Amino acid sequence: MIKSIKDLTFEEQMLPGTPACAGCGGLLALRHCLKALGEKTVIVNAAGCFTLLCVYPFTPFKSSWLYTAMACAPAGAQGVRDALNILIKKGRLDEKEDLKVVVLTGDGAAYDMGLSSTSGAIYRNLDFYYICYDNEAYGNTGFQSSGATPFGSKTGTTLPAELNPLGSELSKKDLFEIWRSHKPPYLATISPSHPVDIANKFKKCEGIKGPKLFIAHSPCPPGWATEPRLSAKFAKLAVETGIWPLKEALYGEVKHTLIPKKFKPVEEYLSEQGRFAHLFKPIRQEEAIKNIQERVNRYWK
Amino acid sequence: MLKVRFHGRGGQGAKIASRVLGTAAFLEGYYAQDFPLYGAERRGAPIAAFTRISKEPILERGVISEPDVIVVMDETLLDDPLANPLSGLGKEGLVFINTTHKAEDIKKRYRIDANVLTLDITKISLDILGKPILSALAGGAASKIVRLKETSLKEAVTRELSDITHEKGLIEKNIEASIYCFNALPSVLIKSNASHKKSDVITMPFEAADISSPSVTIPANTPLKKTGNWRIFKPVWDYELCTKCMTCVMRCPDGCIRVNEEGFPYSDYENCKGCMICAEECPAKAIRKEREVHAW
Amino acid sequence: MLGKMTKQMLTGNASIAWGVRLSDVDYIPAYPVTPQTEIIESLSKWIREGQMDAGFVTMDSEHSMITAAGAASATGVRVFTATSSQGLMYGFEMLYTVSGWRVPFVMANVSRGLSSPITLEPDHNDILAARDTGFLQIHCETCQEALDSILIAYRLAEDKSVLLPAIVNMDGFYLSFTREPVEIPNKEIVREFLPPYKPTHAFFRASQPMAQGVAVLGGHIYSYFKYQMHMANNNALSIYKEVSEEFKETFGRGYGTVEGYMLDDAEYVLIMSNSFSAMGKAAVKRAREKGLRIGLLRLRLLRPFPEEDIREALKGRKASAVIDQNISVGKGGILYSEIAGVLYNEKQRPLLLSFIGGLGGKNISDAEFDFIFDAMMNAYSTGNVPQPALLYTEAELEEMERLKRVAGKG
Repeated sequence: MIKSIKDLTFEEQMLPGTPACAGCGGLLALRHCLKALGEKTVIVNAAGCFTLLCVYPFTPFKSSWLYTAMACAPAGAQGVRDALNILIKKGRLDEKEDLKVVVLTGDGAAYDMGLSSTSGAIYRNLDFYYICYDNEAYGNTGFQSSGATPFGSKTGTTLPAELNPLGSELSKKDLFEIWRSHKPPYLATISPSHPVDIANKFKKCEGIKGPKLFIAHSPCPPGWATEPRLSAKFAKLAVETGIWPLKEALYGEVKHTLIPKKFKPVEEYLSEQGRFAHLFKPIRQEEAIKNIQERVNRYWK
Repeated sequence: MLKVRFHGRGGQGAKIASRVLGTAAFLEGYYAQDFPLYGAERRGAPIAAFTRISKEPILERGVISEPDVIVVMDETLLDDPLANPLSGLGKEGLVFINTTHKAEDIKKRYRIDANVLTLDITKISLDILGKPILSALAGGAASKIVRLKETSLKEAVTRELSDITHEKGLIEKNIEASIYCFNALPSVLIKSNASHKKSDVITMPFEAADISSPSVTIPANTPLKKTGNWRIFKPVWDYELCTKCMTCVMRCPDGCIRVNEEGFPYSDYENCKGCMICAEECPAKAIRKEREVHAW
Repeated sequence: MLGKMTKQMLTGNASIAWGVRLSDVDYIPAYPVTPQTEIIESLSKWIREGQMDAGFVTMDSEHSMITAAGAASATGVRVFTATSSQGLMYGFEMLYTVSGWRVPFVMANVSRGLSSPITLEPDHNDILAARDTGFLQIHCETCQEALDSILIAYRLAEDKSVLLPAIVNMDGFYLSFTREPVEIPNKEIVREFLPPYKPTHAFFRASQPMAQGVAVLGGHIYSYFKYQMHMANNNALSIYKEVSEEFKETFGRGYGTVEGYMLDDAEYVLIMSNSFSAMGKAAVKRAREKGLRIGLLRLRLLRPFPEEDIREALKGRKASAVIDQNISVGKGGILYSEIAGVLYNEKQRPLLLSFIGGLGGKNISDAEFDFIFDAMMNAYSTGNVPQPALLYTEAELEEMERLKRVAGKG
């Protein structure tokens, strides 16, 4: 177990210079995941903001990358993993050349379009890692609502207006439970504000064959209408209010890796984000705020 | 026809600036056309936007490769080989640059033959708006340069800003800032540049897939992109206060913060995008935020 | 079995499977769809019985299947997969994507008409929709040709100056489920003809990092990559000639980019593709018996499109008629347009007639072929080329009337 951030490795697997926005929470989460995974990886990426991490003639990665399409990164991972196994088994590739296969997708691919190919990969017990950077909307197209958009969020397609003052009327899917129902050996939620937790979770599932799945709550300054400097703060507030529970499930058994001693009110998390501003002014949407708080309370009961 | 090209960084407002100019020209009865170039449209990344103004119907579309006027909303773009904001500028053309430096110095420094106008519109926007959002200001500067009227500019800013915000106060402040820039600049007689640079059509040579597939075989070369140019503010450490707790190192999304031999953190300013998470998160308050001035 | 050639009664599906088995394929991602399913069933069985040393995985869709095929090929193994019709459409996005990775795997497509209305029998709207994707395309008339074309396709696709995926196409039912005698080549000889795949341009390994399929921004960059694919695809024309020559020397069977049947002295030429060409050949033979100088040109290599060979084959003919077993709704026959484009700048080009026939597997009767022959001769003698037409008989319309009444439309 790693105890403090001082014990985290200083070795970087992804160098600066990416086109990701300043203050990107997803990039911070990815950076820590890659630190934990080490140097021998191949990332299989789906369409999303991180498509643009590799724009010709550049790559920020010390290791390999394959860009697929929006729906099928887990299928790409299947092809790469199977091919590596075959090459090694047939003696055409030294075992030292082997790579950890890592799917990287946003929430649009993970919660919506790529759900079928993810389900297939978990069902087939594919030996891979899956990192979803969940910024709670289709960020790459300018922030429209996805299956990960929480109740009350303003997005490009859920504008609070006269007839719909609350923004998104729908609630975020529970991807953790969707994945867990497939019985993968390991899955976890993570937050870029808790890098020690990230490192320990990757350590815990190291050596386990099969799907190892991570959902990273990822503050998005342009989409959330927040200042870049506050990304870590909002990630932390999501954990401290109980909105984003940090948990893991080893062979299906759920364990919370951090339970706040005293939960902060959700309002602290919501009120400073532009995407929830309409819940507070011009009219305070008391019902909606209460609703969000009660959902959190119910979860932790 | 007058062709104006705006260069900015994602989030600064180059697109809206091009629209302010387009609308102002439209209001004066000109044919006008404006559009942004969506690339890897990310906050801080170089982007371009374009406005064409003409007394006759406009029969051109797409990127303006030989502009009459170039508006550079961020001086650091002049050093950015990917943005290359001065490309296609003729001697008769004009460049407006948002900088703290004087026009003569800029001309020398960047070896510009064309006319140069400068104004620190970032400072104006920080003073009036409190934020470095330059759309109305750059639109105001461009409107003056192409000799449009102050009244058209005012109406154009109102229309364009009303599409984005309902805050009356914010719209008022933007009008104030854009008029300030309008009045701070001279209007210039610009000769429209009708020439076209010639580059011969070639026969594409064949290259086998090891060369001609869209793959990159050099690892981790993005630091060449020098995203440090995106910054408006930079983090500066006070080692007297720093406790070497490593919070800043582990909070940097881009991994720009390293540790020196004495164990103190420092930033790779060539790549630091200036998000300021490090300063916000520092428990000892040992990191301060400094306005980035493009020092030579 | 070693050492001598063996002939067996095989379906088209089994022939394809044998081609794959002989090609030392490493990996087969699969997804069932009628009428190709027998291909993947056969391969799966052989792998489970230990007769083939390959990985086999049933994916969750054709979209995933084509992705996995491309990704495995991009990792450095020899890959095969198969699909048909709706399946090809479902995976369509990935056809463009994986060909852009320049990965030389082979896919069989068993042609079948596209929904709606959903149907089972063949036409070529499925495979021709894929004509612009970057895949090479070989279209087959017989079961033997289907087997042989798998071997040829790997040689073409893996050639250093090509490096693109390839599709071997055959008609559903008319070939896929139809048995005929097929010679199964000797494996040792196949190995000499088709050596193991050793990629130097696309692979994943720890010691040599590679970012594959990266985004590009800027039309000049995009144009470069796209046009390079086009040139690589066109390179397959000359490579094809070398490979098919070598194939003929090795196995005694040769396949041109196009096939001429009774073409030498023909004044009139019927142009067809795939298994229905056999019926066309029979019609040509009958016409010859009546003394008509008619021949048939069968299109085999569809991508790259063998323009020079087609021009050569049609040179000096009086008239030619294309039977398109496909329909570009709102335009007409797809191959008609492509062949017209090939001939346009020729000074002495034949008149070109367009017919749509065999949609959804509809039979083309003797009467319909005779109708085409008459139309060609009439066009030549009068100089008037008839409007494009659908091949459809009175009896078929009468049957349709009956069905409409049953459906309450009468």
